Amino acid sequence: MIRIYVTSVPVLDQDKALKFYTEKLGFIKKTEVPVGEYKWLTVVSPNEQNGVELLLEPIAFEPAKEYQIALKDAGIPWTSFMVDDLKKEYERLIGLGVQFSMEPKEVGPTMIAVLDDTCGNNIQLLEML
Amino acid sequence: MNKRSKTFYEQEVERIAREYGLPEYHYAYIRQSKAFMEKYHGNKIQLDEMASAAFMSRFHYIRIFQQIYGMTPRQYLRNLRIEKAKELLKKGLSVTHVCVEVGYESLPTFSRVFKRGTGYSPKAYQELNISNLE
Repeated sequence: MIRIYVTSVPVLDQDKALKFYTEKLGFIKKTEVPVGEYKWLTVVSPNEQNGVELLLEPIAFEPAKEYQIALKDAGIPWTSFMVDDLKKEYERLIGLGVQFSMEPKEVGPTMIAVLDDTCGNNIQLLEML
Repeated sequence: MNKRSKTFYEQEVERIAREYGLPEYHYAYIRQSKAFMEKYHGNKIQLDEMASAAFMSRFHYIRIFQQIYGMTPRQYLRNLRIEKAKELLKKGLSVTHVCVEVGYESLPTFSRVFKRGTGYSPKAYQELNISNLE
């Protein structure tokens, strides 16, 4: 049966991304396999270690870089992660020096906020209310 | 107060919520029914009870719930029970115990629903996660 096992965020620097996604956001490194000058580098949620993996994908294709910059400048998130308590997570991340372009905001059945992953992307955090 | 300027995204989020959002009380009432499911997911819950928690008729409740969450209240409750079951299985509770705890009366039904939702039988899920978490 077909299944989704990986999704990705494009990153400018894989080592820097790994530090941010593990040390700040709290993911856990799952795989690190050398592939040429880059690596197949994935992280998972601590509570879903067999769940979908997030690939920290090196952005080495010029048109993709332009697309990433355009999204970043517009404040549009590349992807979205779910949290149980957004206000608490927001305070924790602010304490770690993470920058937000949108503070927690209630939108319909959700509360959302947008942070800068320091690797070229806006990332949305979402709590289902 | 932070005087940062709003991004294009934030402005669009606000516009869409303003132009297409439902009245605030709909969200508040539907959330009450979700809280009801959260509290009583271990019991047999009737649709009428969920609708009552949202102060709506059955028909209106299903329609508004689906409009907000993209799934029916039944589907939502089933997913909630699977998530609760996953937590309990990770803690090492027996499959039979978990089945009852999350509101299923039949073990085969629970196992079938769990496998459809996660891809694993409850036992396999437990073995995989307990060994993984060390």
